[in-house]
Parts: sequence; structure tokens; C-alpha cells
Amino acid sequence: MSEREAYVGQPRPRREDHRLLAGLARYVDDIKVAGALHAAFLRSPHGHARIVSIDVTAALELPGVVTVVTGEDLAEDVTDLTVAPPIEGLRPTSMPVMPVDRVRFQGDLVACVVAADRYVAEEAMERIVVEYAELPAVSDMFAALRDDSVLVDEALGTNLVARRVHRAGDPEARLAAAPRVIEAEFHQQRQTHAPIETRGCIAQWDPGREHLTLVIGSQVPHPLRTQIVRRLGLRDSQVSVSSPDVGGSFGQKIALYREELAICALARRLGRPVRWKEDRMENLLAACHAREQWCRTRAAVDDTGRILGLTLEMVEDFGAYCFYPANYISEVVGIILTGQYGIADYGYEIRVALTNKCGVGPMRAPMAMASWVMEGTLDVIARRLGLDPAEVRRRNMLADQALPYAMPGGETLLDVNCAETMETALDEIGYAAHRPHDDGRYLYGLGLCNVVESTTYGSRFYKNSGIGGSGHEAARIIVEPDGTVSASVGMAAAGQGYETTFAQVVADGVGVRPDDVAVTLGHSDTSPYGMGSRGGRGATAGGGALYLCAAEVRAHLLRLAAHRLGLNATDGLGLRDGRIVWVRAGGSEETGLDVADLARTAYFDPLALPEGMRPGLEFYRTYDPPPMTFSNSTHACRVRIARETGRLEILDYLVVENCGTVINPLVVHGQQAGAVAMGLSGTLLENVVYDQAGRNLSATFADYTIATVADIPAIRIIARATPSSRTPLGLKGMAEGGVMGAIGAVANAVNDALSVVGAQVTCLPLTPMRLHAAIHDGIGRAAQGQEG
Amino acid sequence: MIISLTVNGEVRDVAVEPHYLLSDVLRDRLDLTATHVGCEQGICGACTVLVDGQSARACLLFAVQMEGHAVTTLEGGAPSAELRALRAAFHTHHAQQCGFCTPGILMTFAAYLRDHPDCDEAGVRAVLGGNLCRCTGYGPIVRAIMAASAALREVADV
Ligand code: FES
Ligand code: FES
Repeated sequence: MSEREAYVGQPRPRREDHRLLAGLARYVDDIKVAGALHAAFLRSPHGHARIVSIDVTAALELPGVVTVVTGEDLAEDVTDLTVAPPIEGLRPTSMPVMPVDRVRFQGDLVACVVAADRYVAEEAMERIVVEYAELPAVSDMFAALRDDSVLVDEALGTNLVARRVHRAGDPEARLAAAPRVIEAEFHQQRQTHAPIETRGCIAQWDPGREHLTLVIGSQVPHPLRTQIVRRLGLRDSQVSVSSPDVGGSFGQKIALYREELAICALARRLGRPVRWKEDRMENLLAACHAREQWCRTRAAVDDTGRILGLTLEMVEDFGAYCFYPANYISEVVGIILTGQYGIADYGYEIRVALTNKCGVGPMRAPMAMASWVMEGTLDVIARRLGLDPAEVRRRNMLADQALPYAMPGGETLLDVNCAETMETALDEIGYAAHRPHDDGRYLYGLGLCNVVESTTYGSRFYKNSGIGGSGHEAARIIVEPDGTVSASVGMAAAGQGYETTFAQVVADGVGVRPDDVAVTLGHSDTSPYGMGSRGGRGATAGGGALYLCAAEVRAHLLRLAAHRLGLNATDGLGLRDGRIVWVRAGGSEETGLDVADLARTAYFDPLALPEGMRPGLEFYRTYDPPPMTFSNSTHACRVRIARETGRLEILDYLVVENCGTVINPLVVHGQQAGAVAMGLSGTLLENVVYDQAGRNLSATFADYTIATVADIPAIRIIARATPSSRTPLGLKGMAEGGVMGAIGAVANAVNDALSVVGAQVTCLPLTPMRLHAAIHDGIGRAAQGQEG
Repeated sequence: MIISLTVNGEVRDVAVEPHYLLSDVLRDRLDLTATHVGCEQGICGACTVLVDGQSARACLLFAVQMEGHAVTTLEGGAPSAELRALRAAFHTHHAQQCGFCTPGILMTFAAYLRDHPDCDEAGVRAVLGGNLCRCTGYGPIVRAIMAASAALREVADV
């Protein structure tokens, strides 16, 4: 399609950087709006309670307070959110914009104060008198699934909000007939995204035009607009959503949350701009949580470690409210679990529980647990059978000739090179020489984690999985009258560097320089309606749509150029860095025309256009990518654990990665390293803790610890890319696999080290306390065994 | 009450209440929004500014404490040699993704590199431990700071 890829593949430093480094970026809270009022939310101190009464009199008396509203007040203006896609086993749920008579978790909304400034709003909040009748809470997902549990959502009559079952072949028969059945358990703790920029928004209602403008850090401006329109009873044309610079998101800034919707409703009701800035405690307590999942695998194996059948049992804690279909996250774990391994007989059963905790949503690599569970299972098999873990992987791994492979979870695996990444990783980490050992002070271990990272998610995936929604993306390219190429797509960036990488894609697609391409993102009015940024779809869906659109631009410009040059056809003509050239063997020759000349003709001299060509140069193109694209990688690390303290050190960490065509190695490397860091942070440190009464004990950065520089080792990244065979430019996507691999590699390395003392851990995070206890339990058990 | 302080080289008189934080006054009263607020608890370091040339967390200071002091933010007047070197190196090494943590890190190290022209990586890591970044994994930030430090030494040697 294109004569060559000149700019795709170049490690170009980002064009976004200038404004970030100069302090000129504009995050939501940096944007001034004259006359804006400030909102603050009063939140429940209890995990579960009935609201008996709310007295706002004293708050309203404070000078500067404009209004105080409760759930009952807002119910008139906003319809409830109903999540009820037609998915078997999923119970429909519904929630109002703010609770009316019952709060379901600590941090749940009770009232909203709007005042002249934030200090006043917060002071007024303290004057609101709420009488609660405390109710028993359930903060443990297993307890929530028991018949006698407290109900989180009484309308449901159960806490089991989703149960999903899938079968391929006959795994139960395999288990019944197998020489051996090996069980393994995995428990991932609750985490939260913790972007350094918390949530916030500014809503403005223009009563004359009857138009709402919402400025908000969002990954998905158009889907967000659709939500707002539905909830407020408006039409699409009445709402603009604008996402400026976003200070990190990681999945948190996708859903339309209740706070933001309340702010929109209040702006409309008051006819004045209203803004809200979440503080850190609110963010940790009540924004969105993630990842609290328990898995048990049962593998039917033969004596060589070959898996003959596999089942997965999974329980997920979804918190108190469903902002997403409750099967949405765990289902993907079930679908991709078997990864690069050839297992025909496979089944999963997923149960999702409501609890009196903050609602959950996707967090960078929502399916992250899949790799740890699969690779951890393989390690347990190897240990039980006394086999080499890498060899067990080889015996189960699909041969390259087996691709494309119909995975038992329902998707089709292709364009991966799993054996190659694993063998490279084994060499690089020095696998052959490694044995887990104990030098008296430290236990040493090595962990492997092969990752198949599902990326992109086209419409076919949503349809097949019953999750609902579209996976397409839309691009618009305008060649402006001066020849500048303005490109836009329905995605919004939160640090991924789209402005730089999309300019490279468009430059190659059209045949201009990246500096001549302006990329505008994040505004629902100026970008075409797209599905936004999520699920590793930026490159393939966004880049793919732009590249295809750019190719149409190029073809159009060449037709116009041919006409200007007096030719009937475009044969032999090319576009290089914005100039129309004759393409010759071994080089090119100038025609003297460039894009600016053609743009002038298209806009200002339409009579000089070829017969049938319309004036102007605007192009629109949508693209629906394949149901899934797959990147793959192998993570390997060596660790040591201090016997005395349980302290874990990562001595070497490497990733061999195949993420398809790389648009910009500098940016991709940054995303990969960032993903690994987030995975390590989650594996080692992060933990949202609730007590039995549903009180959150981790709502400051002192308690909810995320990795500092001291916690992240050097990360070696080795590229082994094979392009996708089914996408423009061979793009695949990445940026989540690092999380998946980090969890599995470190947890497996730790268990390798602990095997020396006969111990194992199955729960994250791998804190020194947990490891210390495991070591000493192991030693104790071994000692007892000897005595007995 | 009205306080008088120097901000980025200019004397400013600002009306504040005693409980107003320096970070809020810089951002909301003086429109200096490069100083970011990530936690208001002194942990993330995003709000780091220079007070009389020393790095300090603007969310842990009350504005009234700044009476008679000089505050420098990332916007601040003519950038120091350290800040120029840091900016160039952060760009080359892709040391920011979302960029929200970046101003605090730049201000911290503008002061640190000035006071430690011969710093080593261990020293840089120890100081960087006070800034949270959720995007990069820190590797590129460390590399960028070391590169800036080397570039400054080269200039000094000439
Ligand atoms: S905002 Fe000051 S340290 Fe986080
Ligand atoms: S670049 Fe996003 S927090 Fe550091």
C-alpha cells in the first residue's frame, strides 16, 4: 500500500514532552473557568448503613454555600444506571446517581455541597448531620457467596451477580481418567489504579444553547458522552466531552462515575459551571478498585507433565456497584488462560460476588491473573512430578505449525512465537545453570512466565463473548488549505504518546513528514465517534484506522497530482515527505508539486480539479480490527529472599517480547517497562485492605504503597517481533503484557526459592512478612516431619 | 490576611486565609499550575517547589509561612542551567509519560544537581525515592537525571 515505511519504527522523542516539561500542560484542574463553583462530596463512614436522615441546614447557612443535594434531590434529574446486557448467568443491576436510603461501602456518596470555593465546600460538608443505622457488612467474597450472607444489593436477592460456565471438550472426563490430577491455587489481592492525577471534572451548562460541556480526564470521550446523554435525558448533539492532558488512568478513567454525573446534573440545575477535584483519600477509597480474584486450577496430567485436561474455578470480588457487566473482567481470564499451550479439554466456572467494598473496574491488564495462574500451574506440575519447569512448558506448548490455533476458550491464537521468546529468555537469564538453593542467608529462585497478551478486541470479540459494544475505531484526516495534515481519532491519551506515534503512522500513510501532521485527540466534537483508549487497542485500532484513512488521502492526492501533471493515471507517481515524485528504481525524481500546491487547488481552485473530484480534502474512515490480536512474551527473573527478614530482592529481570510492528521503539519501551513496574508494584506491595465491618484501612499513600524507585529493578527488554498478518502495518498492541508477566515471573521465582525449604505462597502481595512466615512454616514443617 | 512573598522573582501580595496551602495558593490564586497536587499528604512529591532555593513540598506548607520567602515553581523566570539540562535529558530519554509527576521531579533535581555536581546513581535514587511515578517504572527518569548531570559537568569542564 505504501512505498516504504519511513517514519514508523523510528525512536522519535515525543512531541508531547515540551508542554509537560515546561509546566504548560493542561490537566483538568489547571483549566480556569470563570465563575465556576466547587463541589465536594460527603461520603459514608460506614461499610453498610441505612440513611435515616440528612440535615443540611447548618451547611446551607455557611456563607458561600450555593446548594447541598442528596440522592433524593438528584433522582429527579438523572435516570438510574442499569447494567443488563443479555448475558447468560449475569444478573441485571441498577443504581441511582447517588444512594437514596442505603450506603453500601465506606466512601459511598451521601451528599454533595456546591460552594464558592473548595475550602468553603469542605467546611460545609462537615456541618451536614447524617443519622445512619449501621447494618452488618460483608467484606469477604467467599462469605458473600454463602446463603446466609448479608445482601449488598437487596433487589438482587443474592450476592452472586454473575456465574459463567464454559466447556470445550470434556475436561471432567479427562480429570476422572487421568493418571494424576494436580491442583493449584492463586489469590490476587485487591488493588487500585492510583494515577498520580486523581479524578476531577468541570461541567458547564449553556442555558441559551441548552448545551453541556464536560471537561474531564477520560480515555473514552465518545462512549462517555453516550452515557451522559442517556442518564440526563439529553441528545448527543447537546453534550461535548473534552479530555485535556490526563495524569495517568490505567483503566480508572473509563466509566462514567456517579460523582461526575452528579456534577453535570448540578451544572444544569444551577445554570453555572461546577467543578470537582477528587482528593487522594477519595481516590483510594471510592474511585475504582480492581484485581481481587481467586483461582483454582485442576490439571489432568500424565507422568511426562503433559496436560490432558484443565479446569479453572474463579471467584472475583466486584465490590458494591457494577459499573461494568460483572463477568467482563474475569471472563477474559477464562478465555485466554490456556495461552500458548495445546489443551483441547478445558472448562471454566466463574463466580462474581458483590461485597460492601468499592466497585471494581478494569485495571491495566484486567486479565493479568491469567498468566500467573497458567504458569504457576505448570510450575506446580513440574514440582510434583520432579520435572524441569521449562521442559514441562515445552511439552505443552503449541508448535508454530499448529497456528492459527482454535483456543479452547473460543478465540483464535495466531502470529505468536512462543517457543522463540521462551528459549531466548532461558538463555539470557542463565536458566541452564540455575538450581534453587539456600546459602544460609538467602534462598535463591528463578521464575518464568510465558505471556499471551490479548490486545485490541474487535467487534467480533464483543459479539462472541456476549459482552456487548463495538470494537471499531474511527479516523478523520483533513489536509488543510496550507497543506498541513490534521489527523484525529476517537481515542484520548493518558501518557501513551499518541500525538507522536499517530503522527508517524499518518506521515507514512500519506507520504508526508511527521512534523507536517497535527494530531488532535480527546474532544468529542473534533474527533470522530470512536470507542476510545482501552484494552491495548491504541496502536491497532487507532493506528490502523488512521493508516487506512491516510492511504485514502494519499490515493486522492496522487489522482489530483496526476491531473495537474496532465496524466491519465497515477502510475509511477509517489508521495515522499510531502512532495509528489516520480518513483524510479533506486530513487525518485521531483515533479515540482507538493501537498500544499494540491491543497490550494482543492480548496481555492476547484475548477482545476479532475472531472468528478469534489473540492476540499476531508477524509473519514472506520476500521474494525480482528476479534483479538495477540502479543506474546516471556518474562524471567532471578530473586533472592533473606531468610531472616523475608525481604525479596530481584537480581535480574528480563522480558523477551513480540508485540508486532513497533511504531516508536522509545515509546513502546516506555510502555513495556511501565507495565512491568506496575505488575511488580502490585505483586510486591499494593494492597487494599478492608476489615470485617467494611472499613477501608488503606486510604492514604502511606498505607496503600505503590512502588518507588527503590522497588523497581533494572528491566532488560529484548525485542523478538513478528508482525500481525491481519492488521494494517502488522500492528498488535502491547502495554498490558508487562503486568501479566511480572506477576507470574516474580511469584514463580519466589515459589522456586521457597521450594528449598518446602514452602509455597499462593497469596499476593509478596510482602516480607508473608515470605518470612512461609519460610519459617516450611522449615517448621520439615523439622516436624523429620522428628515424626 | 495579605502576605507578601517572592514568586519566580516577582514580589506578590496575596490575600489568604491562615489554613490555605501553598500549593493551592500557587495554583488557584497565582495561576501557576505547573505545581501539581497528587496527594496533599507529603508523599507523592508532585507538588515540589523551591523555597529559598531548597526543594520543599508545597502541600505541606501553609501559604502564610511564605511571608518574606522566595518560591520558585517550574514556570519560574529564566530556567537554571540544571533545569535546562534536565528538560533536554527528560525529552531524549522519554522520562515522562503522563507527565503529572514530572514538575515535582524536575524541581527536586534542579536543586539536587546544583548542590551535588558530582552525584552518583545511588544518590539520585535515594532522592528520587521521594517522588512517585505511576507510569514509567523510574528507569528512564534515573537515566535522564544521570545524563543531565553528565551534561552539566561537561559544560563546567569546558
Ligand atoms: S501533593 Fe504534595 S507530596 Fe503529594
Ligand atoms: S509520568 Fe505519569 S506519573 Fe510519572
